[in-house]
Amino acid sequence: MVGIFDFTPAIVLLPFVSFLIALAVGDHLPKGGALAGITATAGSLALAIGTVLAVAGGRTYDATLYTWAEGLEAVNLTFGVLIDPLSALMLLIVTLVAFLVHVFSLGYMNDEDETGLPRYYAGLGLFTASMLGFVVADNLLMAFMFFELVGLCSYLLIGFHFREPGPPSAAKKAFLVTRFGDYFFLVGVVAVFGTFGTAAFVGSESFPALAEAALRGETSVNTFGFAPQTWFTIVGLLVLGGVIGKSAQYPLHTWLPDAMEGPTPVSALIHAATMVAAGVYLVARMYGFYAISPTALAIIAFVGGFTALFAATMGLVKREIKQVLAYSTISQYGYMMLALGGGGYVAATFHLMTHAFFKALLFLGAGSVIIAMHHNEDMWDMGGLRSKMPVTYYTFLSGSLALAGIFPFAGFWSKDEVLYETLLHGLDGDPILLAAYAMGLLAVFFTGLYTFRMVFLTFHGDPRSGTAEDPHGVRWNVKFPLVVLGVLAAVAGFVNMVPVKKVTGLKIDFLHKWLEHGYAGLTVEHYGELLHDFPHYGSAGLELSPLGPGAVSLGLALAGAVVAHRLYNVPEPVEHTDRLGEIKTVLYNNYYQDEYQVWIANGLTRSIARAANKFDGGVVDGVVNGVSSVSLFSGSRIRRIQTGVVSNYAVLLTLGLTALILAFGLAGGWFV
Amino acid sequence: MVPPEYYLLLSAAVFCIGLFGILTRRNALLFLMSVELMLNAANINLVAFSYVWGNITGQTFGLFTMALAAAEVAVGIGIILVLYRSFDGVDVTDATTMRW
Repeated sequence: MVGIFDFTPAIVLLPFVSFLIALAVGDHLPKGGALAGITATAGSLALAIGTVLAVAGGRTYDATLYTWAEGLEAVNLTFGVLIDPLSALMLLIVTLVAFLVHVFSLGYMNDEDETGLPRYYAGLGLFTASMLGFVVADNLLMAFMFFELVGLCSYLLIGFHFREPGPPSAAKKAFLVTRFGDYFFLVGVVAVFGTFGTAAFVGSESFPALAEAALRGETSVNTFGFAPQTWFTIVGLLVLGGVIGKSAQYPLHTWLPDAMEGPTPVSALIHAATMVAAGVYLVARMYGFYAISPTALAIIAFVGGFTALFAATMGLVKREIKQVLAYSTISQYGYMMLALGGGGYVAATFHLMTHAFFKALLFLGAGSVIIAMHHNEDMWDMGGLRSKMPVTYYTFLSGSLALAGIFPFAGFWSKDEVLYETLLHGLDGDPILLAAYAMGLLAVFFTGLYTFRMVFLTFHGDPRSGTAEDPHGVRWNVKFPLVVLGVLAAVAGFVNMVPVKKVTGLKIDFLHKWLEHGYAGLTVEHYGELLHDFPHYGSAGLELSPLGPGAVSLGLALAGAVVAHRLYNVPEPVEHTDRLGEIKTVLYNNYYQDEYQVWIANGLTRSIARAANKFDGGVVDGVVNGVSSVSLFSGSRIRRIQTGVVSNYAVLLTLGLTALILAFGLAGGWFV
Repeated sequence: MVPPEYYLLLSAAVFCIGLFGILTRRNALLFLMSVELMLNAANINLVAFSYVWGNITGQTFGLFTMALAAAEVAVGIGIILVLYRSFDGVDVTDATTMRW
């Protein structure tokens, strides 16, 4: 019988086919291959919906499709698909956002008469295919391969306008910085194989299950001389390197703001819903492995909380609309990491989902504004766009309310749950979690401030330039994705209203229920047990009403919004950032993160490389050349016996034979 | 019955004559002849031991060696003809192009 799961590979392959079509014959197609991409992503979306429905019916799927390297011992390298509630949900998010981004591209790229459209749509197709492949991967190595493909596609798409100076350099930076993290990820993958002999995510022989069994003393694995707990933490942190690079966490966040050089729909796809989500999704995918390591969880939570605050402060002073969104992306992914580290697996998944919707919406809304402004991104040249583009304004406002976490928009529910879970587990007596929580809470205020600063500067007040007075219109292909996402940003939070459930007793935490079924080792209950047994989250049995923390964070978000309203919602706003004095310069220069990283690359690494080069040129090459010069010299002498005169050879032969006979005779004692 | 030492002495003498020819002559034809002598010295040994041990195998091998020698002469003469054509003579010390 052919079931929906037999079509799972097609979800990945359809965008890949659109990539091939756009690449091969895109020049001859109408719209430069856009229709192929739209059809393919629509097909993937339909299949993903079917998959979600099947998973909702309680079915899951795990199959190995292709073994591409048979191991001599137990290790086989395979491609397989794993469909469980988490990956099904992610499939739906990615295909939906990819589909909408393809439609939006019609308005942003085709209607603006961009050149090189087949290359653009080929990149989008390959990008979507690699992200979907990453989502359905059933082992860590396959996940790594698609992770790298995602990185490659981001390079191709960020550098789309390669004739200008900015994009190629931003693309290279994105590629190199994420590659730096992926280097650790690769070492982590090898370590997982070396330790467990498998990299499968699911089953009793998967590496999270084996690690758990080893810690419980039921089995033993090769931990290379470390205590199992220490070693699992090391491996987890190695893999986390890739996560930090891709999800743009401190200190590898520097590529993401620069990556805004790419076309805006690409920013929506890469930096809101998919590529950056890959890192967080990976941690959620192998959460069973992180949940057993208190140290790794504490590091994840702290990095997340710190990044959330750090990026939010930088977002306060930016002039370009996309830069503000870039820093908000970093900040929001910080919240997801905070949730994962704080034991809020569902909260992180929830925020991942709502963020995908509202951030894609904000990027597409920014794209719409940029079309209207004839590709001027400076918010100080905008203003008063509210009355000229109402659809963009109201959808953008919906996304902004969600981003700032204002009740009852999607972001409120998810961010509230993130903070609540962290606080609950932090109050058990974990000061690191409490510190991370405090940073996350403070970032809520800044989020409200920079979000509404952006909204007020862009849409309110009086127009501050000629283009803002008479903006370029946008068509249905821009408005349709905005409306879909605008509605989702408003209502997506209702799938998981935990505070309401706690207060009224209604069973409306659908996402909790959703993530509770599936494979035994990959459910919320199992993660709850692990979090209880190993890092002792929730072991104190603390009861905390969600209303108090929720009210605090909502109050902070509203305070931020009110401050933004007071400062910027006036007809002629001015740059209040100057009042910050020195701090403004620091913030404007992103805390000099780029400078010190360039210094590390240029000053430190270069001199080490020069010394290494000297060692290589002097010592290593010296030894090799010395050995070869001995051979050369002796060869040049000994070759003289080859005179070309046959008689000489005969003499040598005879002498050799005589010498041999003599030697045998002496050894055999013939002459005695 | 002639004792085998005499055969061995004869064969050693023939071998040494051949070897002497190879070491001292420069004419390629004489080279070929000397090689034939050495080959036949070995043949004498084969036949002699076969006779002494009463085993026919050695004599069979002797026949094979003769056939081989005939083939070798055919090849050798060919080489000498080419040598003559290329170097206008059959002096082996003239043909020294294949050296270091």
